Amino acid sequence: MSSLAIYGERQSGEDVRTQNITACIAIANILKSSLGPVGLDKMLVDDMGDVIVTNDGATILKQLEVEHPAAKVLVELAQQQDEEVGDGTTSVVLLAAELLRRADDLVRRGIHPTNIIAGYRLAMRESCKYLRDILAVSVEKLGKSCLMNTARTAISSKIIGSEIDFFANLAVEAVLAVKRKTEDGKYKYPIKAINILKKSGKGARDSQLLKGIGLNVTRASQGMPLRVSPAKIACLDFDLRRSKMKMGVQVLVEDPKELEKIQEKEYEVTKSRIEAILKAGANAIFTTKGIDDAALKYFVEKNAIAVRRVAKDDMKRLAKATGASVQLTMADLGGEESFDPSFLGSAEEVVEETISDDKFIFVRGCKNLASGTIVLRGPNEYMCDEMSRSLHDCLCAVQRALESNYVVPGGGCVETALSIFLENFATTLGGREQLAIAEFSDALLVIPKTLAANAALDATDMIAKLRAVHNTGQLDSNKGNLSHMGLDLENGHLRDNLEAGILEPAMSKIKSIQLATEAAITILRIDDLIKLKKKQEDDSGEY
Amino acid sequence: MDSQNNKKNNRDSASHDRQKAKDVRLSNISASKAVADAVRTSLGPRGLDKMVQEEAGDVLISNDGATILSKMRVEHPAAKMLVDLSKAQDIEAGDGTTTVVVIAGSLLSACLTLLGKGIHPSLISDAFQYAVEKAEEILEKAAQPIDLNDRTAVIQAAATALSSKVVSQHATLLAPIAVDAVTRIANLEEPDTIDLRNIRVLKKLGGTLDDTELFEGLVLNQHVNKSAGGVTKVAGAKVALIQFCLSAPKTDIENNIIVQDYSAMDRVLREERQYILNLCKKIKNTGCNVLLIQKSILRDATSDLSLHYLAKMKIMVVQDIEREEIEFIAKSLQCVPIAGIDSFVPEKLAKVDLVEEVTVGTEKMVKMSGIQGKHKTVSIIARGSNKLMLDEAERSLHDAFCVVRSLFRRRFLIAGGGAAETEVAVGLNKVAKTMEGASAFCVRAFADALEVIPYTLAENAGLPSIEIVTELRNRHVQGDTNAGINVKKGNISNMFEESVVMPLLVTVSALRLATECVRMILKIDDIVMTR
Repeated sequence: MSSLAIYGERQSGEDVRTQNITACIAIANILKSSLGPVGLDKMLVDDMGDVIVTNDGATILKQLEVEHPAAKVLVELAQQQDEEVGDGTTSVVLLAAELLRRADDLVRRGIHPTNIIAGYRLAMRESCKYLRDILAVSVEKLGKSCLMNTARTAISSKIIGSEIDFFANLAVEAVLAVKRKTEDGKYKYPIKAINILKKSGKGARDSQLLKGIGLNVTRASQGMPLRVSPAKIACLDFDLRRSKMKMGVQVLVEDPKELEKIQEKEYEVTKSRIEAILKAGANAIFTTKGIDDAALKYFVEKNAIAVRRVAKDDMKRLAKATGASVQLTMADLGGEESFDPSFLGSAEEVVEETISDDKFIFVRGCKNLASGTIVLRGPNEYMCDEMSRSLHDCLCAVQRALESNYVVPGGGCVETALSIFLENFATTLGGREQLAIAEFSDALLVIPKTLAANAALDATDMIAKLRAVHNTGQLDSNKGNLSHMGLDLENGHLRDNLEAGILEPAMSKIKSIQLATEAAITILRIDDLIKLKKKQEDDSGEY
Repeated sequence: MDSQNNKKNNRDSASHDRQKAKDVRLSNISASKAVADAVRTSLGPRGLDKMVQEEAGDVLISNDGATILSKMRVEHPAAKMLVDLSKAQDIEAGDGTTTVVVIAGSLLSACLTLLGKGIHPSLISDAFQYAVEKAEEILEKAAQPIDLNDRTAVIQAAATALSSKVVSQHATLLAPIAVDAVTRIANLEEPDTIDLRNIRVLKKLGGTLDDTELFEGLVLNQHVNKSAGGVTKVAGAKVALIQFCLSAPKTDIENNIIVQDYSAMDRVLREERQYILNLCKKIKNTGCNVLLIQKSILRDATSDLSLHYLAKMKIMVVQDIEREEIEFIAKSLQCVPIAGIDSFVPEKLAKVDLVEEVTVGTEKMVKMSGIQGKHKTVSIIARGSNKLMLDEAERSLHDAFCVVRSLFRRRFLIAGGGAAETEVAVGLNKVAKTMEGASAFCVRAFADALEVIPYTLAENAGLPSIEIVTELRNRHVQGDTNAGINVKKGNISNMFEESVVMPLLVTVSALRLATECVRMILKIDDIVMTR
């Protein structure tokens, strides 16, 4: 023990690395069983008793409240993958942990961490290059079914996997519906424009995709029409209730008659506002705040739909799609109150519809942007939550495939191909990096291994077969299709996964290899851990 | 742990307890050496990182000596001197904060041997002082002058500083950024006045470090207020920086406005509208179309009403400007902050070609480009995939700025990779041979102690350190002044050819500060605990 006196604990060298790596492996072990189409789910109960059932890696890790500083790096890693790609969160953590485990072995065999880091970095660069140049297949080449297949692959591991075709179709249609051309001529698929509404009740199969923006609100009064067309939409961000005086303004009444007048005046202010809006030609009024029941009659008289308490995010989306501008107040430059028709947005129709027992407002045929709404149904709340998470992953996968234009065959195919490639690549190098690259290549196999193990197959046997096939494929360029061989987890043998339609966006794979390597390197570089203790209150007598 | 126990006993028994001079020196030296050992492994391009978990649970991963030490909360008073030492190097040169501590630690162990031989501390101290003066001469001889217009040479120095950091693989990108940034704010006539506070590094999560860019102009971390549908892009902007609020004046808590009549209610509402409208109109009349509003604690800086008016007048609003930012912004835009509506005059506005809000990743920021007039500030937008990485990138950039600044101050470059230290060691050994008495012994010990740098560099890179250092020494004796350790290839080569160079100032200041600190520790012969 050194005589370094610090206020806390300090560990250094081998101990820290091993400890950090153990913590990371522990995290990965939690996720291990949820990888792949036959992966199982986790039930998470928080201290409030709320339950989440999920097999999404990022969601599980977020809920875990990991304490160990190195393990936190892995949690962040999963979240990053979630933000940047949206899918593949479990596999990225597994890969990072496996890289670390193998690095630990190498360090024990007397290889300096810096050499391992250099080797890993080289291996990452080479494998990304190989993936991009050789393994990736362009979307156009495969045609439209490829999108469906990408969606199917993303869904297959999730809770909605039983209704795989149904949801894959839903996701692809939803993403295609929001296609948008950007200024530089490219096409964008903003999945933010897809609204997911959750309603428990009925079965997953009763979920549906609807055109237009769906809002989980109803008309403010039954007297209003169910449908207005064409709709002129006003988006308000202020109250249409009796106007109250500001803080610091006191109303002092001496005469009871005055009281009535003041109340009347309060109504009057609101009434004139509503009239101004209606006069501008609005027939569908949305506000984020409230509307007094007494004020509703003005809308009813004019045959307009008024909706109160719209969520702020929904309001923004609505304004963007219809070209309306959200108004904070009605004041104009003359110091008076008025409402200009140019604030209004337009849509073909605003309609209240009943979808399986519940009422929703739909805005269709918006002037500016296309948007879609997916209504999810499920037997209970947890199921709906998990469905929405799964669908989000799936939407991301489809979007990535469309925007990056390249896909790779899944089912452990890419990992095995890269592993074989790296192994051959390693032997061409002299120097200590060779060992690190060889370990990197082995580490990639953790994905097919875990997939097989989760599917109750003999992992060792399957991987050996898979490697043999890929090796022949890479040696002999005539047998090109052998490099598309992957695991068939249902039947327990090998098949051409490109043909079978097990596809993943190439970008997702590249990102996950990059991110996992970066995270592993971050942890490997640490050789000292200093934990500071909490400062005590009574250290006043110190110096 | 000894020192801790000693201290505890001290405090327990009597507050004025005295320790034997020798014991004190030994305990001081061993405590300081421990500090040096703690940071030793992070030296050099292949050095490793430290993870520090702070008391609140925040995690910090860094390779920067000054950062690690300042977070470590060392307890021993003598060890604290070493922490201060790295801080001093940080202020003086900005880089070499690990080096300075490692050298000090090595010098201290040399002292231990010398003390063991019975040499008096003050003799050692004086000899060290003599040695460091000689060392400086040797370094100056070995250094090569640099022309500041030679951009590549300056970039090389910055890249060397970055090579040891987590961001090393991005050194080729970050080094030119650092050089350009410092060159922009520098005044060549007065190199001592370079104020690094004029460089602002803005950290934005998302993307990778490759997306980091130098921005000529001003970047604000805040976003444009769009709640009333305001504009997000203004060309030919006139920017005002205001420090007052655009909301209805509040009455004091004790006072109330009393309304007795319903017609008065209307008046209250209208009054408020009129008041705000007047403020906005006055602003509009000066031609201002971008408004930066300082954060206010007492009142809302803006109200729905004022935002609405400003949006109608097509004035862009950026609020929540922090008080500390005001100075930087005013300096960048060359405008005067406006404290009240009465002093809102057109002369106080800044003219900017383009102000626009841009989205980076998931976050937004405001960019102002084409600021008229010659402004002496610069902004760097740093991007990174996670927070730890971003923080470390900021620290590394700071080191790179400092290196460039050191070059402006003293325009000499010296070979890195342990070349400078070995050259000094070899030179001092020669000097020692011409001296007599115990001092000669001390100077030789000083020279040998410096070899800790090449030794550690080799060790951290996983190279056979003894072989490398002996070969290096051999090359220097033969007169190859610039031979250093090539960490990437694992051999000895000419550092100027490998473009591993650093400013002379950094090395000289590290040697000088380390020696000073060691001398001070040597001269302590007593610790007196006072209550």
